[in-house]
Amino acid sequence: MKGYAWLMVILCASLAILPGCWSKKELNELAVVMALGVDLQEGGGYVVSAQVMNPSEVGSQQSGLSGNSPAVTYSAVGKTIPDALQRMLNVTPRMLYLSHMRVLVFGEEMARQGISDVLDFISRNHELRTDFYLMVAKGMDAAEILQVVTPFEHIPSSSLYSSILISNKEWAAMGKITLQQFITELDQSGSNPIMSGVELHGDPKTGNNLENVKKIKPDTMLENAGLAVFVKDRLVGWVGEAGSKATNYVLNEVEMTSGYVPCPGGGIIGVEITSARSKLEVHLDKEERPQFIVRLKTEANLDAAQCSVDLSKVESIDQISRNLEHKLTSLLEEGIHEVQRKYGADIFGFGEALHRKYPKVWEKYRERWEDSFRSMEVRVYADAEIRRIGSIVQPARREMERR
Amino acid sequence: MPKGPKHTAQKEEEIAADINHFTEDVQRMLGKSPDIIYREMMLWGIQAVIVYVDGMAEPRYLLEAILDHESRLAPQEHSPAGYLEVLRTEMIPLGRVAGVNSYSQVTAELLSGDTIVYIDGASCAISVGTRDLKQRGVEEATSQSVVRGPREGFTESLRENTALVRRRIQNPGLRIEERRLGEMTQTDVAVMYLEGVADQGVLEELRRRLDAIELESILESNYIEEMIQDRRYSPFPTVYNSERPDVIASTILEGRIAIFVEGSPFVLAVPALFPQFFQSSEDYYQRGDFASMVRLLRYLCFGIALLTPSVYIAITTFHQEMIPTNLLVSLIGQREGVPFPAFIEALIMEVTFEILREAGIRLPKSIGQSVSIVGTLVIGQAAVEAGLVSAAMVIVVSITAIANFALPAFNVGISARMLRFILMVISASFGMYGIIIALIVLGMHLCSLESLGVPYMTSMAPFRWRAQKDTLLRVSRREAKKYFGKA
Repeated sequence: MKGYAWLMVILCASLAILPGCWSKKELNELAVVMALGVDLQEGGGYVVSAQVMNPSEVGSQQSGLSGNSPAVTYSAVGKTIPDALQRMLNVTPRMLYLSHMRVLVFGEEMARQGISDVLDFISRNHELRTDFYLMVAKGMDAAEILQVVTPFEHIPSSSLYSSILISNKEWAAMGKITLQQFITELDQSGSNPIMSGVELHGDPKTGNNLENVKKIKPDTMLENAGLAVFVKDRLVGWVGEAGSKATNYVLNEVEMTSGYVPCPGGGIIGVEITSARSKLEVHLDKEERPQFIVRLKTEANLDAAQCSVDLSKVESIDQISRNLEHKLTSLLEEGIHEVQRKYGADIFGFGEALHRKYPKVWEKYRERWEDSFRSMEVRVYADAEIRRIGSIVQPARREMERR
Repeated sequence: MPKGPKHTAQKEEEIAADINHFTEDVQRMLGKSPDIIYREMMLWGIQAVIVYVDGMAEPRYLLEAILDHESRLAPQEHSPAGYLEVLRTEMIPLGRVAGVNSYSQVTAELLSGDTIVYIDGASCAISVGTRDLKQRGVEEATSQSVVRGPREGFTESLRENTALVRRRIQNPGLRIEERRLGEMTQTDVAVMYLEGVADQGVLEELRRRLDAIELESILESNYIEEMIQDRRYSPFPTVYNSERPDVIASTILEGRIAIFVEGSPFVLAVPALFPQFFQSSEDYYQRGDFASMVRLLRYLCFGIALLTPSVYIAITTFHQEMIPTNLLVSLIGQREGVPFPAFIEALIMEVTFEILREAGIRLPKSIGQSVSIVGTLVIGQAAVEAGLVSAAMVIVVSITAIANFALPAFNVGISARMLRFILMVISASFGMYGIIIALIVLGMHLCSLESLGVPYMTSMAPFRWRAQKDTLLRVSRREAKKYFGKA
């Protein structure tokens, strides 16, 4: 009995030692990939660029002293992405670790060719999370985007990540699209995915030098470039600031944004949207053709009055809200029509709404939805309320003129 | 077999009826130690001897009384035994006086500090309670000090200790049972309980275990603890101990049984349950809500003390994806240039800390200071600057150590410390998976433990609603009555 107990102890101990901690990897054996860029290689295959954090520069207390770059971008060519990543090991001193990737950037050319093959790898690989943002480099290769040094954040990809987060939250002119969302949109038959765009502002040559961030006004900066519109997995075009805003309104992604409306009696008035909720409605007309209605309900604060309207009167406030409603209605209508007419891409999910409400009617359109969507009727009804007008009542200009 | 003479092996020899014989016999048994005083005197014309151990007995009052009262009786009025009887019943102004008939009794009484009075020609003697052991006074308990609450701590004297508890529970039901254990040391061991409150089954079991003890010596209560605990191979203590009379009084009031051991200020209490080790006497002297908060904090501390290094090892060597990116960045930066794997790093730091702690306990207070300074500088700063360990690891080890000291019971802290090292090895081999398995096994072990037949996790598993007022939380007394019923 005692011998048996000892045998068990020895077996357990050897179980702890013999397997040799096979999946163990110490922190300082990792090259943490913060961003991955994928471009097309002429003649098939991919150019993969990986922006790898340089921990001794970023993490240690004496950071910045040695003046080395906080991140290093490696590039390699391969027939598949893992193939390219393997080849990258020829130049990287450490094992590439993908779990902490913040952004995945596609070159525009690549995106126009279709990205589903890349997404397959991304979702198949167990190391990758699904919460990083997807982006398209507008009019350039992803590799170029990953070679720019940015101020504030040591690591350029963190900068990209947080600028998406901030501008989406405060301004609504950016989409924050994660892998999860993109694939969901892609798999649904009645909607098309979007992606955030990023572009380079300035000369790419000066951007990859640390000197860039040593200036008070960096020569080269990364800039948001609106939304990339996809049909299936292919990029078809871009929508600008207004279109992006409209899209975010319809997708219920607006948390906060600001704009301006004409003021009764000349001038303009700035408004800050504090709450926006949209609803898609589908109706069938007599010939069973679907009609779509977007109902938008917003609350806004008045944040700048560049006119001389009498704000103490209820009528003027009402007038301003009506102006805001008009403005929102036309913004949304124009935005939707642009995407509808120009790209035939249903990035708003109208098809999905139709599918849910009238599954039988949907069957008729299912095959050629992108084409039919081009001519569908979409109407927008916006409702706006002005809640607060700030710390003073009358516009400063009015006070001045009354003297 | 034992080398020295044994009390029990001694013959129940009758006392010789001759003073020379008597003295010789006693000297033969105890040896000619200079601290055993034979005070010879003439009483009523008869030779008499008073024997006591110098330093343990204070025979002054006895001698004064005998010499004062001697003249009350005429010589030859009584037989020698008769004089002894008169002495015993009429003359000695001390509480405990008893007749003794055998040498084994004589030596036992002598060695416990009593004084023996013998008169030539009597075949018996009387033993007078003159114990006056030089001892420490009642001082503040050092191991479990409180901010608010009584300051008294137990001393090395068993009688003093029982009195400290009895003073707190002035209840006729309070019972003390005494026995002598330890063949060589003949140590007094007292069992104290509240009749009608203490569980009879547990009491019987305890008596059985105490009677079964075969030890040569008992110098501290841990000797008893080791002999009566339920399972030897468990890192968890199944016997509670305290240096504070108020704590022992409250455990007795809860129906537990206290065990006092002569010579030790640490009094045991059984059955000891897991939640008890997270209770401090101060919980009951502070507001209930605050006490509950602090108590929850202690459970958290146990978790920290047990798990922090192993979880850190597991996460940094197996599950880097669990670390928030910004934290990962700084952790990697700190680890740059550290030559050891995280496990070895943690082991070095933990062992260093254990060494420092051990050194700090042993050293006199004046030198202890310098050890802590060296320790702080060595493990806190120099090791990091020299690149031997990462700063994060120093934080992990420090928080573990501090959390360990936040536990109110020292012995449950020891459990956490021992298990911590096992968990570190497991996490270095199997990562989080191993930690979870180890915790499941630990839970099973805790639930299988018993303290004198009472399940160790009682009131959590098996669950007792009424006990919840004082398990994880300490519900204030008025609310406790309302929601949990009386008692």
